[in-house]
Amino acid sequence: MHITKLSLINYRNFKNVKLLFNKGINTVIGENGSGKTNLFRAMRLLLDNSMPRSATKLTEGDFCRALDTWRGHWIIISIEFDDIASDESSQSLFLHGAGNAEDEVVTRATYSLIFRPKANIRQELSQIPIGDSVALESYLKGITIDDYETVLTGKSSADYNDPAVYKKIVGDFDKVVFPKKLNNSDVGIRLPHILNVPNEVSFTFIKALRDVVSDFHSNRTNPLLTLLKRKAGDISQSEFQPIADLIKDLNNEIEGLSDICDVRDDIKTTISDTVGDAYSPDSISIRSSLTDESDQLFQSLKLFVAETDDGYEMAIHEMSLGGANLLFLTLKLLEFKYQRASQSIGNFLLIEEPEAHIHTHIQKSLFDNINYEDTQIIYSTHSSYISEVSNIESMNIIGVVDGLVEVFQPSVGLANEEVGFVQRYLDATRSNLLFARSVILVEGDAEEILIPILIKKSLGLSLDEIGISLINIRSTGFENIAILFDNQRIKKRCSIITDLDAAFFDISIYPTDSELDKKKKTKAIGSQQAGLARKSRLNGFSLNNPWVFPFYANHTFEVDFIQSLNSYYLINITTDVYTQQATIDIASNELSSSDIAISGSRALSMANYQGKGWFALTLGKVIDFKVVIPEYIFDAIKFAHGDFNRELKLKMLKHRYESVIEHIEFGRKTIERLVAEGNTILEQEWKVYLALYENGLAMFTPKWEAFDFIHGDIDVLKANLLNDLPCAQNDILLRI
Amino acid sequence: MFVFDEGDLNNEQVAAIREPNNVFLVACPGSGKTRTLTYKIAYELSKIDDIKKWVVAITYTHRAADEIRERIEILGLDTSHLWIGTIHAFCLEWILKPYGLYHDKLKNGFKIVNSYDSEKIISQICSSFTESIRYFECSHYYNPRGLILSCAGSNVSLAKQVIDKYHNQLEDNNQIDFEQILYFSYEILSSNSFVARILANLFSYILIDEYQDTKEIQYSIVASMIKASQSRLKTFIVGDPNQAIYGSLGGYAITQQEFEQIAGVSFTTMALDKNYRSSRKIIDYYLNYNVFKSENTAEGLYKNHPSLITYDQIIHKDNLVDKVSEYIEHNTQKIGISESEICVIAPWWMHLAALTRSLVNRLPDYSFDGPGLVPFSRDIDNFWFKLTQIILTEPSPNLYVKRLRWASDILYDMELALVDTHAMTSKQLLKIVNSIKIYENDGLTYLRLFFEQIFSELKLDYALYPMLKEHYESFFNSTLNRMDRLRQEDASFATNVEAFRKAFKPRTGIKVSTIHGVKGGEYDVVISFGLLQGLVPNFNDSSVDSAKRLLYVIGSRARKNLHLISETGRMTGYVGNQRERQPTEILNQLNFAYDQNLM
Repeated sequence: MHITKLSLINYRNFKNVKLLFNKGINTVIGENGSGKTNLFRAMRLLLDNSMPRSATKLTEGDFCRALDTWRGHWIIISIEFDDIASDESSQSLFLHGAGNAEDEVVTRATYSLIFRPKANIRQELSQIPIGDSVALESYLKGITIDDYETVLTGKSSADYNDPAVYKKIVGDFDKVVFPKKLNNSDVGIRLPHILNVPNEVSFTFIKALRDVVSDFHSNRTNPLLTLLKRKAGDISQSEFQPIADLIKDLNNEIEGLSDICDVRDDIKTTISDTVGDAYSPDSISIRSSLTDESDQLFQSLKLFVAETDDGYEMAIHEMSLGGANLLFLTLKLLEFKYQRASQSIGNFLLIEEPEAHIHTHIQKSLFDNINYEDTQIIYSTHSSYISEVSNIESMNIIGVVDGLVEVFQPSVGLANEEVGFVQRYLDATRSNLLFARSVILVEGDAEEILIPILIKKSLGLSLDEIGISLINIRSTGFENIAILFDNQRIKKRCSIITDLDAAFFDISIYPTDSELDKKKKTKAIGSQQAGLARKSRLNGFSLNNPWVFPFYANHTFEVDFIQSLNSYYLINITTDVYTQQATIDIASNELSSSDIAISGSRALSMANYQGKGWFALTLGKVIDFKVVIPEYIFDAIKFAHGDFNRELKLKMLKHRYESVIEHIEFGRKTIERLVAEGNTILEQEWKVYLALYENGLAMFTPKWEAFDFIHGDIDVLKANLLNDLPCAQNDILLRI
Repeated sequence: MFVFDEGDLNNEQVAAIREPNNVFLVACPGSGKTRTLTYKIAYELSKIDDIKKWVVAITYTHRAADEIRERIEILGLDTSHLWIGTIHAFCLEWILKPYGLYHDKLKNGFKIVNSYDSEKIISQICSSFTESIRYFECSHYYNPRGLILSCAGSNVSLAKQVIDKYHNQLEDNNQIDFEQILYFSYEILSSNSFVARILANLFSYILIDEYQDTKEIQYSIVASMIKASQSRLKTFIVGDPNQAIYGSLGGYAITQQEFEQIAGVSFTTMALDKNYRSSRKIIDYYLNYNVFKSENTAEGLYKNHPSLITYDQIIHKDNLVDKVSEYIEHNTQKIGISESEICVIAPWWMHLAALTRSLVNRLPDYSFDGPGLVPFSRDIDNFWFKLTQIILTEPSPNLYVKRLRWASDILYDMELALVDTHAMTSKQLLKIVNSIKIYENDGLTYLRLFFEQIFSELKLDYALYPMLKEHYESFFNSTLNRMDRLRQEDASFATNVEAFRKAFKPRTGIKVSTIHGVKGGEYDVVISFGLLQGLVPNFNDSSVDSAKRLLYVIGSRARKNLHLISETGRMTGYVGNQRERQPTEILNQLNFAYDQNLM
């Protein structure tokens, strides 16, 4: 038996999500705060017998905040099971209460927790005139959480994820229509009292490892104690009796110690001295009470582990964090193994972020090896190192779309071949493609290296900060990866950045052209055609897909970069690329040319000369805040990220403001140096240049300082910056 | 394993309990049937090794279920894996609640209409017809083939129309009645084969008590589970075909062969034929009314008792009270038999109620326990009656377990009525009831106030829960109705709280009962009147066998003395065309040396 589906409606941060699971190992991926813990809690409410019974009585805080008002709404946590062996009598009780009859043989079951208004409230809601939203509103106001009941149901056939079904069962709050019948058979039946599902299944939840040492210290959470307790009952009397006898002897010997006897006698005499013999107790003894109860005795057992080669065994608190975590995880797994051995109708293991504090190398092998038969494992993770993370068929991704949490299944609707490709890619690259909030796909080293630098220098933001993963797919083909992003699958935005490879020089072949030129032109013509073909392919691929959009460099990254008025930086690194002064001079000249055929060719030949990757690293070194981000790149970022919020805008303005200050400082130092060197011409030039910045800064600084970060209009501040400091290449700000 | 003391049971009983195969046990009167059943349940309970299995025992009444459960608890067994109750309760709990959503008429939820309301609805429909049709003619039940109208006579098609209308009305109201509980369960089982398979896996043993009065449809319900279990699920069926007196209500004394056929398993025939109750003379007398041949041997304390068996055909109905009083006084004063060991039996409730009131006047020093004395409705399936039962019984250690069970029954019903009972326990409910004090003397007002107080403590408005509301109205209407009727019959009866309370006090005094109501009972002395053709046997089943079985039941209740009366002067037919009812033929024809006088 395994879980196939979990539906959460209005529970905590989930307004309406559906998770699909397979037999065996499943992953749940989601950024921090996306609600992975809530998700596990929901499952535990239904399945974990270590949860207190009272936990199923939900509260106001359990309602999804995305609801205008929780009053009148239902929280539904519904789990679907499959592969129930119907002929096995141990599963009959479960089928009796939860089995879904669809066929002669029942193998599917649904088990749900519903938190809803009590019958009398539902009855009254149904009596509100249809469409009378005023009456509804005023009725809802009076509802309190005490008007709610928790019911556990089985056999539900409703697809709660379908908003129309929810409206039919719960009611339509907009149109003010509520069901007249108190019972809707689609909800299923109340679970019979004789069926307590948490007692029927073996379910272990291993929480994210945060403070393992204190867990080991608490009697309640110490996994070693749980294991020992389980065994305490099984200990054979004959094996334990000698120990109990020893303890008895030990107790006697302690009691017989002369010092102990002295104390006892002194107590005796003191009492009779104080109150007299008549009122003194008849006898007093001091007893040693080392316990001979096996389960109490076991509490004194502690685990010692030798972590290092020298064989020194240390206590848990002395261990490395990673070691202790691994130990904790192992003991919990053993606990699960023991539990699984007892009769249960299904085995479930939930592990929260197993990678926390565990070395990546261990992470890799961890889940290759935890693969118990008949056990469904569901774990949440951040780590791209866990091998199962590449198995997109057993995966749920929690993401946010338009402020609402949604869950995606990345392999829905893909052919086996397509899935296989993605999995092999993920396996080989360990990329964090699935963990990001949005994605930019590139296929070259230059883009991979330089785009983060451009953003960082120009806007002061890192890609991580704005939730973008930049993935270099190298030569695997964009479509093969971008196929994951789709309304059916992952609803996260994916920008594709590629080159159009339009020729940037005259490609007409003349009889006068040298063989070399002819070859170059022929090649350029080929590239241009290939570029156009790629464009039409990618445009077709992303047509009607709101999640994928291609962006094209007109020519190629280096050429478009220099075309975006960035020749300064390239000139700056000619000395890094070339060693011969003559070449450096020619290169600088060519780079300064306004003819893209000349400057572009040089930029390309520099990159090819040095190797594109190394060249990009070299270029990255000199890029500063005044760099102009090529339009298509910024478009790609904007598509992936969406609009920038106020905080990010402020951060960018701050970055640019501070960069100007830094720049002025640098200019002043340069002028000082020039003065010292007596280079008056250059000094003058610098002064004129710097004055623009200084004047602008003088105008802008008071506005910056007066700006109210909480209430001020960020766009006014932006306009001021643009206005006051036109010299500082602030055009990028026009686009945010 | 449950072991019993030697001497607890006789060899036949032990053999029945130890029999590993399915058992079809015919038990003669006084043969320790209930005891055997109790021990068998205990034995099977102790054999359960899987905590997910239950022993199911189906009894004829709630009372029998409670009694057997108590006996098993006294034997020291854990009854948490025993499910015992009536077939209706069984169907409700195990079939309709979990699988009702697979039946079109149940899937939107259902309320159970109680017998008072059901009678009222049918009567109303009857009176809306221009043709003459009466309530009793619409008596009906289901067998696996459909609806059976058992008393309609020549009015079948009219009665069918009434019942169809009645069913439509119930359906509109999301209600089902007791007959439908069985029929819908049967329908669910026959159209969803998995239901029987799942249930078969949950039960380790099924026992059926009083099979002779069990409806045919119940056999089909049980058989479908036995069949689905591929004969793993074992069955123990016990009863006495000679005591089958519920034929007109659908009671069907199935034969072993028939049951074997529908269940697809074989049964071991066994019999308990040692009567530990009656004297040899009484046994020999009632055996004259054997329909199925049976040997009953006298084994009890009174086997050699010199019994008195009298038969009076002379006394006029107007002087009946004299005759009955004479028998009562003779047995108590001359022979020294205690009041509670005397039972007055008649076929019709109406005649009994009248006689009881006369007896109360005639014998003021005696106390009586019979119909017509309780001033309020005793519809035991009514929610508010169940609550009344707790309210009007005193908290005491003796009753604690019982009252707690009643309280949990009430919570169960509340849940059925869609009340959120999540935070309530039967102990709390009992505590609330015990803590309420109402200062009011009038019984009905007292109950009204009490109900209000309970629900205000529970912070619930019962009027918002349709089933509770319906039962509430039905409880008070039927009580008022009953009071009116009693008043019309000019009966003096008390309506104060004390009188109400008495209804729940342990019964004392001379038992007054219908033949059907005396099922399972035993008394030193049985006095029976109304043994007239048309009554015994009843007009709707006038067969000789039917009369025999009724006489068999009457006769076999007695340990020592049996007094039979076929009074004169009871008229039948419409005014102007009346004739006197004659003594029951089979009784009249029996050539028996009755004792001539009481000395």
